[in-house]
Amino acid sequence: MSVSINQGTDSTALVAESPRRAGWRTLLSRTAFWIAVTDILLILIFGLLSRNQVFLSGANFQNLALDGTQVILLAVGAALLLAAGEFDISLGANVILSSVTSGIVVSNLQTDSFLILILVGGLVAIATGATVGLINGVIVTRLKVNSLIATLAMLGIVTGTANILTGGADLAGIPTSLQSDFGTHYLFGMFPLPAVIAIVVTAIFWIVMTKTRFGLHTLASGSSRASAERAGIKTAAHITALYAIVGGLAGLAGLIDISRFATTNIAGHQVDSLAAIAGAVIGGTSLFGGRISVLGALIGAMLAVILQAGLVVLGLPSFYQLIAIGIVLIAAVYLDESRASRKFRLVRKKQPQRLKTQRFKEKE
Amino acid sequence: MAEDGLVAVGARNVRKTFGHVNALTDTSIAVRPGEIVCLFGDNGAGKSTLMKILCGLQPPDPGGGTVIIDNKDVVLDSIRDAQRHGLGAVHQDLALAPDLSVLENMFLGHEIFRSGLLGRLGFLDRRSMAKQADAALRKLAIRLPSLNVATGMLSGGQKQALAVARAVMWSTKAVLMDEPTAALGATQADIVCQTMRSVADAGLGVLVVSHDIPRMLDTADRVAILRHGRIVKYAPAHSMTVPEVVTYMVGGKVDAA
Repeated sequence: MSVSINQGTDSTALVAESPRRAGWRTLLSRTAFWIAVTDILLILIFGLLSRNQVFLSGANFQNLALDGTQVILLAVGAALLLAAGEFDISLGANVILSSVTSGIVVSNLQTDSFLILILVGGLVAIATGATVGLINGVIVTRLKVNSLIATLAMLGIVTGTANILTGGADLAGIPTSLQSDFGTHYLFGMFPLPAVIAIVVTAIFWIVMTKTRFGLHTLASGSSRASAERAGIKTAAHITALYAIVGGLAGLAGLIDISRFATTNIAGHQVDSLAAIAGAVIGGTSLFGGRISVLGALIGAMLAVILQAGLVVLGLPSFYQLIAIGIVLIAAVYLDESRASRKFRLVRKKQPQRLKTQRFKEKE
Repeated sequence: MAEDGLVAVGARNVRKTFGHVNALTDTSIAVRPGEIVCLFGDNGAGKSTLMKILCGLQPPDPGGGTVIIDNKDVVLDSIRDAQRHGLGAVHQDLALAPDLSVLENMFLGHEIFRSGLLGRLGFLDRRSMAKQADAALRKLAIRLPSLNVATGMLSGGQKQALAVARAVMWSTKAVLMDEPTAALGATQADIVCQTMRSVADAGLGVLVVSHDIPRMLDTADRVAILRHGRIVKYAPAHSMTVPEVVTYMVGGKVDAA
């Protein structure tokens, strides 16, 4: 499958790999593959250790999928921003605010129609999230505030706003049809609907990042902002849009929050952003921009979820999950660092080999 | 200055001042299609300023001369403007994104889309891009391990060659190069010089700024020497020696050029 365009004795032909093969390589990078293996091993270990092997039951897998839904959405979002060389640590706070605004609206809708509830609730949640993201984007790209600081500040602003809107108490009175028909609904009686949505969203962004100009421009902005600018990409506008899109993902996670639990969780979500960034990085997305593994983000996000659930099944207090996520994050960054240095060592060795095979092919 | 009147890229009576500093005073230069002109000059002679004006990064002073691309007087507002007129530039930093592949770097900002709805959604046609990139690299006799290798993995010479190939791909008239051999070893520099010749042979004008006097005297067709914002010598490359070039650069005997 090589696109080698070789004519006679022309010594300049290239041996180009087929575009499709490149696509498959990005589908499951080597890192993502090993994290997937780790995921499965962890499930087996927790399965063996759990009483009556409940960890391997269908119900537990459904729970894992549901628990993973929000983290996956946020991890995909974090991966998109990391790919562009940006950060957003206000994602968790954004989930809270989005759940609050859409919760307030749907509980005042005075309707029993699930369709209206989900449409209006979804619209409000995603619009809230996207607005917060947009503001982040504007602060980072126009006011040129470092993204870590800007989104740290936004974390405070957004959490404060959510508390003011609710008076600090979680919302009650969210229509139960959201829960029964969406949050805890099982497709074909088996697959939790929110998890299915998270997987579909992941698939969409995988396609966007590997197949489209938007993805290419995102990676270019993260790999070398100056080069992207020189190539005519309006990086400020692109990155602002990216922040808004990722905010929208946080909004979707907020909708899922109120749909699953029929209430908000204002005090929760503190480590969501960390878990999201950890999931993205451990799945193969570069902390320094320019490289992304969207599927890896899903797999990496599940690692934290599996750890968390496994620790609970083993009877450890839930506080251990905080420690687990912290450790996973450090491991992820360490992996990313060593990946970067290993890459360049490999290159030196590989190049002559490649040139040799090329010459060989030319003789044919 | 071009006797046959054909100018791929050039400047006529260009003047540029920064406050009280005269970076360029009444500078004229003309690169014909198919020739390589090397611009020499000491630090501060105005080389960078002239290159910036030619590639649209900076305008000349108001009323201070014009830029010529493909025999036409042009007013350039941006690099994009210059590109539209058929002029490409390879800057010293190369402007390559290290994590993107050779192919992606070549087409960044010039993507080819698939036909139909997918294309309108921004789906890339990598197959067509690969075909065109392969042809472009072949034309310049540039050899790279693969179109899909990350640019950061290429050697210095390969990166330089790639940046040249990209500039040529989107230029129809002329290419500017800023210190293309500065960071390279001898073999790599030779590759870049060969590439430069291939570009000229394809009918484009090549204007190159360099400090590598011996190599450029071998490679270029003509040399232009800038001193204190003025062209002090414009002559066939084979008629010059390294000491002569240096003398013109730093002063000493100066003919009326």
